[in-house]
Amino acid sequence: MKRSLEDRIFDGVNVCLLAIIFFATAYPFYYLLVISFNSGTDVLLGGAYFWPTEFTLENYKTFFGDSKWMSALFMSVLRTGVGVVTGVLFTCLVAYGLSHQDLVFRGFYFSVVIFAMYFSGGLIPYYVVLRSLGLLNTFWVFIIPALLNTFFLLIAISFFREIPPDLKESALIDGAGELQIYFKIILPVSKPLLATMALFTGVGHWNSWLDAAYFVRDEYLRTLSYRLIEIINQSRVSLSAEAAIAGASSVTSYSLQVTAMIVSIAPIIAVYPFLQKYFVAGMMLGSVKE
Amino acid sequence: MKVDTAAAVVEPMRQSSVWKRFKKQRSLHYFVWIGLLFLLVFSYTPMFGILMAFKNYTITQGIKGIFTSEWVGFKYFVEFYNDYKFGIIIRNTLVLSILKVIFTFPVPILLAVMLSEVKNMAFRRVVQTASYLPHFISWVVVLGLAFTFLSANAGLLNRLLLGLGWIDEPIPFLTSPNYFWGLAVGTAMWKEAGWWAIIFLAAIAGINPTLYEAAQMDGAGRLARIWHITLPGIRGTVVVVLILTVGSILGGGLVGSNFDQAFLMGNAGNNDTSEIVQTYAFKVGLAQGRYSYAAAIDLVQSLISVILIFTSNFVAKKVSGTSLF
Repeated sequence: MKRSLEDRIFDGVNVCLLAIIFFATAYPFYYLLVISFNSGTDVLLGGAYFWPTEFTLENYKTFFGDSKWMSALFMSVLRTGVGVVTGVLFTCLVAYGLSHQDLVFRGFYFSVVIFAMYFSGGLIPYYVVLRSLGLLNTFWVFIIPALLNTFFLLIAISFFREIPPDLKESALIDGAGELQIYFKIILPVSKPLLATMALFTGVGHWNSWLDAAYFVRDEYLRTLSYRLIEIINQSRVSLSAEAAIAGASSVTSYSLQVTAMIVSIAPIIAVYPFLQKYFVAGMMLGSVKE
Repeated sequence: MKVDTAAAVVEPMRQSSVWKRFKKQRSLHYFVWIGLLFLLVFSYTPMFGILMAFKNYTITQGIKGIFTSEWVGFKYFVEFYNDYKFGIIIRNTLVLSILKVIFTFPVPILLAVMLSEVKNMAFRRVVQTASYLPHFISWVVVLGLAFTFLSANAGLLNRLLLGLGWIDEPIPFLTSPNYFWGLAVGTAMWKEAGWWAIIFLAAIAGINPTLYEAAQMDGAGRLARIWHITLPGIRGTVVVVLILTVGSILGGGLVGSNFDQAFLMGNAGNNDTSEIVQTYAFKVGLAQGRYSYAAAIDLVQSLISVILIFTSNFVAKKVSGTSLF
């Protein structure tokens, strides 16, 4: 079929606009990559837009050689790892209990969950609770308040309902307890669910900044997010072009900031294909939630 | 079908009393109780904590103090009303929220329509894949990107404009009150448009393709088909998303990031336009230790939000027959 003039103009304009949108989304990330591989002092002269003008690994060497950044990176990895495992197991355990259709008080349990989903006391009372529990300035302030995610709770419940009951029945006859069934039967057949939850919970932990900035004070508890805020605010005041960081002369606080940004984006890009695989479903449920 | 088999299995249990059934499911209840205990501590206790807005609460009193401290009625609400920043904060919250909804609501719809019209699947996939990547990036990194591209000293855009000779000195995008709203709307759009386009793309995919063929037969062009088939076809989804948006408008609408943006991108320079209710409450509470006052400020926003949720739901039900509850 021959395409009409309108068709061709429409397609042309559409593709051009989408190409601009693509550039606007992708280029910022690419530019960061260029800067991170470019000598910091050289960047300040301008010119490095699509390719490093003075290629160097100094920024990364400085970043990975700095104990402050390494400690922050370690803390981010640790909270993400521990947060994912505990959060997923905890949420799923509660969901497993709630997924039983014949559960006594089921209606009551659900209304407690749904109400908590829609209403919150706000940040200030929440902070007071964390403080009263003695969670502030401990590693556990990253983990414990994030154990249960009501949104994933509902997803997990509907997932567990689809598991054929005979799977569980035979184990019950063999005398297995519910906890055993949960670990030995339910979790192994729920891998797609666990993967989805792990990915989204992990991204949440990795990106979390408010708790890292305000709920902890000790240096060793500082995460990558916190250090990034710190260095961005430093760069805002001064780019330290002259005051290049001691030891590595070409590294500026700006090039170090960009390198840290790359390091905090990299894991997200690495899991991105997997995130994509699952998130359309998550999106649908997410819209119901919000 | 699976529900049927489940029902058949539980049938024998139904005959026994509720208590017997409960005893049999005991461990399952334990699992649920752990979860409810969690909600009691981290969701319901803070809800009771709202009481502190009406009391003379000090942090040293702990959780118990929420109930035992002295009542002061609406003292802190009156104080907020008389706060010299009250007008500015309310204005900023409303303007930022409304601007964000006006601009971030239609863009994902537009993007979804544009993507759905692309015939080259490879091109479409590449653009779409890139478009929702920013959703997964933290606001801290977005702050860093804003700095990289817009700051007066290192920003790429300023350098470009200076290099082209269009401006004589750098534009203080990040530190002038004139630019904060634009910055917030722009970054919200950049970060979330691709993500929210997914839901509209799914709705477009659900439109019966024969409608397009029939319209083409009748001589309808591309734009006419979009206008008469695509847009009406996703009307239900649009209305639901709109209700959600209006309900959460004070948090930033569907992109919900007012606090992150105002907190991270707000600074002494642009404070006149970047201070919103949430950030002010946070600073008053955590920085100055005035918890009762902060809780009162927070509560004002929550109340407006709840009213908005119910109003928008009611209006939507009347106008289009679609509603959330």
